[in-house]
Amino acid sequence: MKIAWKEMKKNKAKFLILGSIIFLVSFLTFIISGLANGLSQDNAALIKDMPTGQFYLNEDAKQTYNLSKIDIDLQEQIMEENPGAAAFSVQMGFVNDADDKQHSVAFVTSTESDVFETVQEGEIILDSSLKDEGIAVGDVLSNNQFSGEFIVKGFVDKKKYSHAPVAYINMTNYQEMYRVMEMQTIFIPAKDAPMFIGLESFSNKSFLNAIPSYSAEQMSLNMIIWFLVVISGMLFAIFFYMMNVQKIGLYGILKAIGMKTIALFRMIWVQMMVITIVALALSVGLSQLFNVLAPAGMPFHLTLDTVMMLSAVFLIVGFIGATISGFQIKKIEPLQAIQQGEM
Amino acid sequence: MANFLIEDVTKSFTSGEVEEQILKGVNLSLKEGEITALVGPSGSGKSTILTIAAGLQRASDGKILFETKDMTKMSQEEIRQVRAKEFGFVFQSSHLVPFLTVEEQLLVMLDVSKTKLGKQEQVKEVEKILKLVEMNHRKDAYPASLSGGERQRVAIARAIIHQPKILFADEPTASLDTKRSKDVMELLRELTKTLNLTTLMVTHDEEMLPYADRIITMRDGYIVE
Ligand SMILES: Nc1ncnc2c1ncn2[C@@H]1O[C@H](COP(=O)(O)OP(=O)(O)OP(=O)(O)O)[C@@H](O)[C@H]1O
Ligand SMILES: [Mg+2]
Repeated sequence: MKIAWKEMKKNKAKFLILGSIIFLVSFLTFIISGLANGLSQDNAALIKDMPTGQFYLNEDAKQTYNLSKIDIDLQEQIMEENPGAAAFSVQMGFVNDADDKQHSVAFVTSTESDVFETVQEGEIILDSSLKDEGIAVGDVLSNNQFSGEFIVKGFVDKKKYSHAPVAYINMTNYQEMYRVMEMQTIFIPAKDAPMFIGLESFSNKSFLNAIPSYSAEQMSLNMIIWFLVVISGMLFAIFFYMMNVQKIGLYGILKAIGMKTIALFRMIWVQMMVITIVALALSVGLSQLFNVLAPAGMPFHLTLDTVMMLSAVFLIVGFIGATISGFQIKKIEPLQAIQQGEM
Repeated sequence: MANFLIEDVTKSFTSGEVEEQILKGVNLSLKEGEITALVGPSGSGKSTILTIAAGLQRASDGKILFETKDMTKMSQEEIRQVRAKEFGFVFQSSHLVPFLTVEEQLLVMLDVSKTKLGKQEQVKEVEKILKLVEMNHRKDAYPASLSGGERQRVAIARAIIHQPKILFADEPTASLDTKRSKDVMELLRELTKTLNLTTLMVTHDEEMLPYADRIITMRDGYIVE
């Protein structure tokens, strides 16, 4: 609508201020959400990138995977009944390289499966982030709980667990190092997998939350994100509220000469839309640029999907904020406004 | 011909426990092509009857007949439409929209009244009316840069651009000096005659009375003629 646009043109400074606040808030939101996503990859890419299925832990483990031990007979029975199932274990630890330098890793071992790397005894396959720490194929690594040595067979991309790079080792080596015969977890890559007595089942998502620190980390970041979204909504409400208060007389006159209340609402909506869309376009562009330029070591990962989803939320929240502030317009009596103007 | 009739209109305000009757039965008929001036002491109810007639507040009782339609029976939305299409308003202060140019003020009014003119014709109509109030040379100016008299002339232009039938003016010259007041009254008189408007005006200023066709005196909520 023309009148909305005219006001913005005449009062550029006012609207520019609101626009830049919305830009900053939305940009911050995008950056934090990129960080949250990046950290979650860093924390649990191993689990996150697994296909949809069911995870099983021993019921006595109280949902903590490293307390879980699955009975060997039961494991064999499940593996037989469910082709594609895999039993696996994860333990935090470290490897020493030829110079005796320590590198912390998450040891992963499993029965034969498409989902995990297959490794022979005395071999090790590492997450590619360890390349940056100077480890190469053919290097010999050791571990103080392991009698033998590991030869690096290769690298895989984006396999992280609890912020540490994953190290795939053979089950026999694992059993020696950690002195357990049982595996911690069984994974069945099927949507509705059966129940087993003595085992608790988890979806991909709930299993992620069973990883220590994962849910705490994600929850606090998500809380910041939603706070920022709410703040931006309140900014709209407060900003338009204050502008409306200044314009009560004007709205009264426009109503007196016969303008519909809905036309006044439309005026606020148009202004809110223009400001938000311009601010969002800027921060979407900048955050995508940041996604490309972020330093390699920084766990930052922002997809366009996330950005678009958050943008939609910003628009909706802005709309609600502006509309709430508009309710006072509805109450304005043209007569009062005229008389106030004459006082 | 009378096309606007006020019949036995009363208005009471309750403040706290006490109900105070401000209008005690007002009868008035307005005629086309005439300026009717309402005069009387402060607090006698002049603004109250004008705003009731203009559909800006409701009467407690009585009838307001505009071209045979009783406005007291209309819904809020119907009254709004009448205000938008058939009425024009001028107040003591001009109440222009601060962020619109003179030309845009009038275009907005055409928009509000839903005239069926195309964009080109609207601009032409605006030019015509601005020439009538001798403000065409300032059509790109914002209200802040106009003098009080100029603003009031723009306000009058806005009040008549959509060719209303009735023009309501509450002390339209109160904020102006005598010379400018007379210019504005001259203009109102000329417009009332040429556009055949029905004009109801409240004024305090005796010097403005010669411009009126009829003078009605109010006292304590009554018309005393
Ligand atoms: N909304 C209201 N609530 C209570 N009393 C009101 C209200 N509006 C007007 N009045 C009272 O009605 C009386 C008439 O007011 P009105 O504005 O019509 O007077 P007026 O003749 O226009 O006076 P003036 O010449 O000073 O403008 C006044 O005593 C005023 O206090
Ligand atoms: Mg008055």
